[in-house]
This record gives sequence, C-alpha cells and structure tokens, in this order.
Amino acid sequence: MPDSHKKILLVDDDRIIITLICKILFRKGFQCLKADSVDMALKILEKEKPDIILSDYSMPEKDGFEFRQILMADKRLKDIPFLFFTSFSDTELMKKGLDMQAIDYIDKNTPIPLVVSKIVNILDTIRKQHEQSIYELGAAARALNLRSVPESTPENELFKLDFLYHTYQNYPGGDFIDFPVTEDGYTFIILGDVMGKKWGAWFFSFNYLSYIRSAIRLCVSEGDISTASIVHKINRVVNMDPVLKDVLSTLSLLMIEPKSGNIHYTGAGDLPLILYKRDLGTVTEIRSSGLMLGIMPDGLYDEQILDLSPGDQLIIVSDGMIDYREDGGTVTDYKGFVGGILPLMGRMDTFELIRKKTFGEGEQSEISLDDQSLLFLERKSLSENALL
Amino acid sequence: MIEIYKHENYCVLKIGKSEANLELADSLKNAVSATIEKGHIFIIVDFKQVDYVDSTFLAALVSALKEAMKHKGDIAVARLNKHIEHLFRLVRMDKVLMIFPDLPESFTGSFGRNSGGQS
Repeated sequence: MPDSHKKILLVDDDRIIITLICKILFRKGFQCLKADSVDMALKILEKEKPDIILSDYSMPEKDGFEFRQILMADKRLKDIPFLFFTSFSDTELMKKGLDMQAIDYIDKNTPIPLVVSKIVNILDTIRKQHEQSIYELGAAARALNLRSVPESTPENELFKLDFLYHTYQNYPGGDFIDFPVTEDGYTFIILGDVMGKKWGAWFFSFNYLSYIRSAIRLCVSEGDISTASIVHKINRVVNMDPVLKDVLSTLSLLMIEPKSGNIHYTGAGDLPLILYKRDLGTVTEIRSSGLMLGIMPDGLYDEQILDLSPGDQLIIVSDGMIDYREDGGTVTDYKGFVGGILPLMGRMDTFELIRKKTFGEGEQSEISLDDQSLLFLERKSLSENALL
Repeated sequence: MIEIYKHENYCVLKIGKSEANLELADSLKNAVSATIEKGHIFIIVDFKQVDYVDSTFLAALVSALKEAMKHKGDIAVARLNKHIEHLFRLVRMDKVLMIFPDLPESFTGSFGRNSGGQS
C-alpha cells in the first residue's frame, strides 16, 4: 500500500502540537486522526485501525502508559506500531515506555519536520520488514513445492482450458485451482476459495486441495464417477476434521468426460458459472444448490451435466472477482461483473479480452479486496480437434 | 463495534461498522458466545449499517450459527442491503441463515431452514 494511504493516530492534550504535525503529515499524503485524550483515542480506535500511533506520555486523566496497557490487552490493536512522544528526558520513563513494546520514543523538542521524517522512516522500515517476511514465506513454500495454483493447464482434446489468478497485494490467499487428469482420461477442474484472508486462508487451501485430490482418485478408482458424490465425500471428511473446524470453503468441481465432452458440475457455495452458447448467442448463469464445504455434513449437493457445443464458453470465478472498492466504499457486485464481461463472450479471443479487462495493468490491484481467480473453458471446433 | 440488545423474544447484535470483515469476525463470535452464556439462544444480526461483508465474516457467521445450534438456538440476519442479500442468496447462505427484511416481532429459530425469513 502506498504511503499516501497511511493513517496515523496522534494523541496529545496539546492541540497545537498535533495540529502542526498533522499539517505536515497531511502534505506528505498521510491521513491524520487526532485525539486530545486517551478516551477520545479509544473511541476513534473502535472504528478505525491506524497504521501507527504516536502518543504523549503525560496527559490528564489517563496517561500514555495506561493507553499503551489498554492497547496491549486488545488483540485487535496490540500490534499497531506505537511511538511515545514526550518532553520528558527521564531515562527511566523512556525505558518504561520501551519495555511496553513501544517501538521508539520521540523527544518533543525535536523540530516538527524531523518528527515527521522519523515517522516516515519507521513506517518505511516496517513495510520493508513486512515485504521481506512475505518473500521468505513465499520462498519456503516454493522450496517445499507447495502450490495452490498450477503453473499451467493440461492439454485437452475437446476443450481449451485456461485460467487467470491474481494475488491480493502480493499475499497468496484462499483461492485454489487445479486440473487433475485421471488415468481413464477424465479431466477435473477445481476452483475453490477458503473463507478467510491472506496466509491463514492460504495455509488451509492445501488441506482442502489434498482432500479434493484424494476424493477424486478414490471415487474414480471405485468407479463412482460423479462430481456430487466426490463433493459429498469431501464435505463429510471436512466436517469430521477438527483442524478445519470453522474453516469453510467454496468449491466448483467440474469433470470433463473423455469421449463425449459432457461436463459434470457440482458446486459448494460457489458463484454461478457463466455459460455462453454460440448458436443462440446467449449467456446464462448456471447455479448449483450445494452449501459451502464445512457448514454441515449434508451439503445438499446436486450434479448437472452441461453439453457444450463447439464455440461454447464457460467461465468460473471466485468471489475476489466481484468485490471491489468504489467511491471510498466497498462493493460486491456479481451482476456488474457478468455485465462487464458479457460483450467479450463468444469472440475469437475472449480469454485475452477478459484478461485485459479484469487483470490489466494499473488500477485493478488498487481496487481489489481479495485474491482473484477466473477459469475459462471453450469447446474446440471440429477442425481444431482434427489437428490433434 | 457490535451492540447487543434485547428485542422482543430474541437478542439483536447490531453491527456498528460499514465493513463486516476480518476485524469484526472475532467480535461477532465473542458477542454470540456472551449472548448465549446469558441464556439468549435466539439471535438476529442486524446489518443495517453494513455496506460490505467479506468471506471471513461470512465464516464467522456460520461458526456463530453452529455455536447457537449446539445450544438449541438459532441465528438469523436482518436488514441486508441489496448487494449483500444477493450475495447471501448466490452462495446459498439463505439455506442456513434466515434472512429478514426488518427486525421481526418474534424469532424462535427455524430448524426447517429453507422455509423461514424472506424468501
């Protein structure tokens, strides 16, 4: 996130000081939240979560130490970087402040522009450490060959398969994608989304992927070639697993039959699929009935068989595709998303056009709220099949 | 951020923020646990002020529902804006949580979960 979006909470009973600091920080693109008492600061913190807090030691009623203690006892607020701001030069007081996990103190005699520079530097250091941590976690995951998104799609005789995936602010998230192909030639298409954010969701996506891959192999080896049956088995196991207690996931599971090209589809709390029929020139939403995995042992899963003719296209998306920021607020708008890609359906280069529209350079990462996935299938024409 | 008050024969958990997200998910679970501990097992979560719900909060709602059901209670949601209500129906949350357009006169749960609330 650029510094222009950083939010700082200043707490000091001296309104002149906080007004001066705020003026300079504002010019540097910060958003300032001002409080002239600890109680006022706590009121602000009920609704806001700043990136850093700068607080005076000495204030009437509650002082800066009490404020820090209150924050340290609050799970939501204890990790916000905290700086003490004081005119005391007493070493014991400074030590007491630093013992309370304040990251630093700033002497009030420091010229205001230097105070601001110090705040900017601290935020910059925190950002760099954060990026380094993400890099190291990512490197560890790559070393262990942990992937929740494949590097490529398998070749399929009857369908073009492709996908788009975008992380949220460089964090992996709960989306997972896979295209396992069985020895009998069944191609499965998996798009799931573990409910949650960032690393926690990413971690659990591996549990879900393992269960799904295992259930597919098990069902196919037993001759139970049914997506509903597979999803039902996955859901039963998930509901019995204490590690996944309260961890829910959506799932779109599709299976392409090797000869007919019929597509079997079962969904678990997923968004409707978008189907384009070339001969009719229509776009329809394909809805399934199943609940998210992990909600209850009977997930009410149905199975639909989709018959795609050459040129027909099918799109599957995760919820990150329909959530976005707009006019300072946040919106979930599936209809708006479908309306946006509608003019692109049925074209020779539909997938590329969607990529440019939804995953193009620039603004998209600024307005997205989660990781985003889109899977694309198109039935090949008979001449394309003949080339294989 | 979550205000709890008694309304008729159930408790209301009113969300006091426009974004129901990760930050509020734990608060919701805690508020539900505290409400149930006091013996109020029928709860309606009021979304009047909410413009956006993320997946973490949806998961917390389901977790809270499971907690209520363990105590033979139930949780419903009320006053969703049109985008949120559409999302709930798209992902079939309406099959597990009753949706009310407004705070009802009475709520004593529905164990036939497809039949209650606004449909």
